[in-house]
Amino acid sequence: MNKVKKILEIKQSVSSSELGPDFKSEVLTHPDARGLNVCFSCGTCSAGCPIHEVFPEYNPKKLAKMVRLGMKKQVLRSPYIWYCATCHNCEQRCPQNVKFFNILNVLKNMAAKEGYAPAAWVDQTRQVIKTGIVFPTEKSWIKKREELSLPSLKEEHPKLKRIIESTCIDKIKPRADSV
Amino acid sequence: MSRYALFLGCTTPTKVPQYELASRWVCKYFGIDLVDIEEFGCCGINQVNLSIEAGLLMAASNLALAEDKRLDILTLCAACTGALAEAIEKLKDKPTKDRVNEKLREVNLEYKGSVKVRHISRVLYEDIGVEKIKKEVKKDLSGLRIAPHYGCHYLKPKSAFEGFEEPDNPKTLHQLISATGAHSIEYETFNLCCGGKVFPVSRDLVHSLVQKKLDDIAGKEIDAMVLQCQTCYLMYSDQQEEINKEYGKQYNFPVILYPQLLGLALDADPVKDLGFKLHTVSVDTVLEKIV
Repeated sequence: MNKVKKILEIKQSVSSSELGPDFKSEVLTHPDARGLNVCFSCGTCSAGCPIHEVFPEYNPKKLAKMVRLGMKKQVLRSPYIWYCATCHNCEQRCPQNVKFFNILNVLKNMAAKEGYAPAAWVDQTRQVIKTGIVFPTEKSWIKKREELSLPSLKEEHPKLKRIIESTCIDKIKPRADSV
Repeated sequence: MSRYALFLGCTTPTKVPQYELASRWVCKYFGIDLVDIEEFGCCGINQVNLSIEAGLLMAASNLALAEDKRLDILTLCAACTGALAEAIEKLKDKPTKDRVNEKLREVNLEYKGSVKVRHISRVLYEDIGVEKIKKEVKKDLSGLRIAPHYGCHYLKPKSAFEGFEEPDNPKTLHQLISATGAHSIEYETFNLCCGGKVFPVSRDLVHSLVQKKLDDIAGKEIDAMVLQCQTCYLMYSDQQEEINKEYGKQYNFPVILYPQLLGLALDADPVKDLGFKLHTVSVDTVLEKIV
């Protein structure tokens, strides 16, 4: 964990020349990011976040603020945007009904397009195209299912494959410094 | 007799088949007919990381497959439940639905909007009911003190579940456990996330979260944790060994899935019907307390 922190730490000081005023508007064009405008940084999201509690560098309130300030590069390159456990506490408890989980997904999608997606998610998507599930077919579980008299599983899902490929996510490349 | 399309997801049928085995046994016992749809694939929950649209299309294609058979969906995985239920919410928007259907039509599917998605625990709670379960109990589980763990996506976002549960103060699993005769025990971290969805990116984060819960439970004379999601199961059960190795700990805490606990109360065979031999952490201490 310390190694990750060192390599990919978000810089504490930011020059105004690094800020992109269009970033917030770009994020807000996605319907899932609606609500970012009404966030008043109360910090309820961070207070109820289980990841923030064990790893304070992951901070929903701070990320939302960084988007509003136009810190595009720092947000999209940050490894922390991938640390959400998807527990939904942030949106469940937000007094402004901001769905931070959805905003984060918009940010992750943008980061993925720019080549910053962790290899784990890129590999998993490629796997789903092959087998229809997130795992490769393994003889051990086929055998186990037979022993338990459970029905066999289909090993190819051409419909799902075609649907996923229509979105071009199979073309996304993982980040070079993938953790 | 109620009838559902069984949505297995990715992890249960491959890594935690004992959950599937026990679920099928329990459903059969209560006359819940489960239909397997071979073409069901991944629900798309992790794909939203790379593309919200891809995740939505994957969920919608699964929903359309069940609709085609005129069946509602019964899920085992909390995350699949959340992903599919959230997709239903999103697809209530007509432009979104039309856009999705345009893509689905290319593979001869159409999402109409009639299908409902419910987790097995919710089906047991709503279709069978706590009172009926109590009447069916054959074994005495009153010697068991159980820590319930709900799983985030079983509860949240609340809007996707028609207000079925209060996410910060849920009740169904507590009641389902009590219905078996076992004692459902309150503990501080009961609503703490297992971290499963961040596991592919950071094992360390998961290990921190899992230890918090296991440390909270230790010393409360709890016999087992009962869960309703195979990903939570893998985090709390299989990761114990990894944590022991990496952090020099000695966790050895039984973790079981709700249909297995219910199956025990209904006198199912622990090995043949409930798959207890497949557990990485032994559940013998639990089985010994059942009379």
